[in-house]
Amino acid sequence: MNKILEVKNLVKNFDSYRAVDGLSFSVSEGEILGFLGPNGAGKSTTINCILGVVEKDEGEVKIFGKNLDSNRVEIMKNVNYCSAEYVLPWNLTLYENLLVYAHLYEVKEAKKRVLEVLDELELTDLRNKSIRSLSLGQRARANFGKALINKPKLLLLDEPMASMDPDVVDRGIRLLKRIQKEDKMTILYTSHNMWEIEQVANDVVFINHGKIIAQGTPLELTRQELKLEAKEPNLREVFIELSRRQMVEETS
Amino acid sequence: MSITRMYAIALRHYYLTTHHLERFADLFIFPIVGLVMWGFLANYIQVQSSGLAAFFLGGMILWVIFERVGTAVGIDFMYELWEKNLINILASPITTIEFIGSLVMVALIKVLISFAAMTAIALLFYQFNIFSLGIALVFFWINLIFFAITLGIFNIGIITRWGHSAGPLTWVLPFAIQPFAAVFYPISILPQVFQKLVWFLPLSHVFQGMRYSFQTGSFNTGDFIAAFGLNIIYFSLSVCFFAFMFKMSKKKGTLAKL
Repeated sequence: MNKILEVKNLVKNFDSYRAVDGLSFSVSEGEILGFLGPNGAGKSTTINCILGVVEKDEGEVKIFGKNLDSNRVEIMKNVNYCSAEYVLPWNLTLYENLLVYAHLYEVKEAKKRVLEVLDELELTDLRNKSIRSLSLGQRARANFGKALINKPKLLLLDEPMASMDPDVVDRGIRLLKRIQKEDKMTILYTSHNMWEIEQVANDVVFINHGKIIAQGTPLELTRQELKLEAKEPNLREVFIELSRRQMVEETS
Repeated sequence: MSITRMYAIALRHYYLTTHHLERFADLFIFPIVGLVMWGFLANYIQVQSSGLAAFFLGGMILWVIFERVGTAVGIDFMYELWEKNLINILASPITTIEFIGSLVMVALIKVLISFAAMTAIALLFYQFNIFSLGIALVFFWINLIFFAITLGIFNIGIITRWGHSAGPLTWVLPFAIQPFAAVFYPISILPQVFQKLVWFLPLSHVFQGMRYSFQTGSFNTGDFIAAFGLNIIYFSLSVCFFAFMFKMSKKKGTLAKL
């Protein structure tokens, strides 16, 4: 399968602190890769390097087989990003926001596409509401709308549903799975909610201190790290086991 | 350069302005109140010297052109920080040049609106026609806008590197420059030491040139060339400063945290 995202020997230092330490992984077309790790593991820094908003020190990022540094504008037309940390401008209505982003991504027939996305996310009734007046769950869907506006081939999701209630998360996951299936999107997905990752990810990369410490399908990881003949993935336990094991190794 | 992407940023600020009543204050109230105040003073002075009234009103209108563009570029950039939207924009295909270019474009549209309102009020209430400067007005505009953009880019460079805490500089910088720009008085009244230094400020040449034009009815090419030459130097330095600060901010990771 085509590799949509390739990260090779990525290194990022912040002064004397090494946030990303020779990280290499790839995501194939149509795959959803869960990108996991404890707080400060280097997940967001890696995503920021992929987006080009943080300058890497070493390594290479290739998207759609092209070097990001030399083809950024062309590549970014087919990439999008969503994080609960960043919201759409509060005083603009949902429709206005999506229209601005449709133009920013040079979407053809921008107005038509905005209406399509609103319909797809069941947000049509809220189109004239300002982001400020939306609930947290509606804002999360609005963020998704922005992320889907250019029908991205690669979607980077950095804890897109942080602080959302289980109902909102469940609906968000169903929606994402449906859209991903229809559009065959490739997704890099980080979250601290292991249930989310179990629901969507084909593969998981677990990092700590900027290095990969485990990799595989959710079920493989469960069996491999918990030494169990499990039938269902249990990434929550895997997460705890890997984080604590790492802590013990560091202490000793 | 993509016009569509630049249009997107302009559209974002159009929506922002139409939803924020205080943004209209920026466009109309501040320039008009300033003009009215200086207009009264000019009327009072007119009794003693008709030339001085033109200096005040002309100075005020031209100052607003510089000040509005210089601050608008910084404020519109700050809006992306206040609304935590900068990463959404920078993660899109837009280039830094397109982004800043569109902020400048938005600032120019705004200043044209403010200028039109001020010109109309000066004409209606004070019988002062800024267009009496003739073609010289175009040359003054060129240098004012050029320096305002320079200051705006410099300002964004500082904000990019040091974030919100550097934001107030957006308003402080033009304010700090004003006494040395000799907007409302001739350079000769400044203390000796400043008289020499202000010739390194393009604005001093513009306002000196404006007074010269009002007095003589002709255009001082020397002032224009001096201001334009200085502008080229400062603009180049400002772009280099911004590029360095932007790179540093990406390197240190502060851009993603703004």
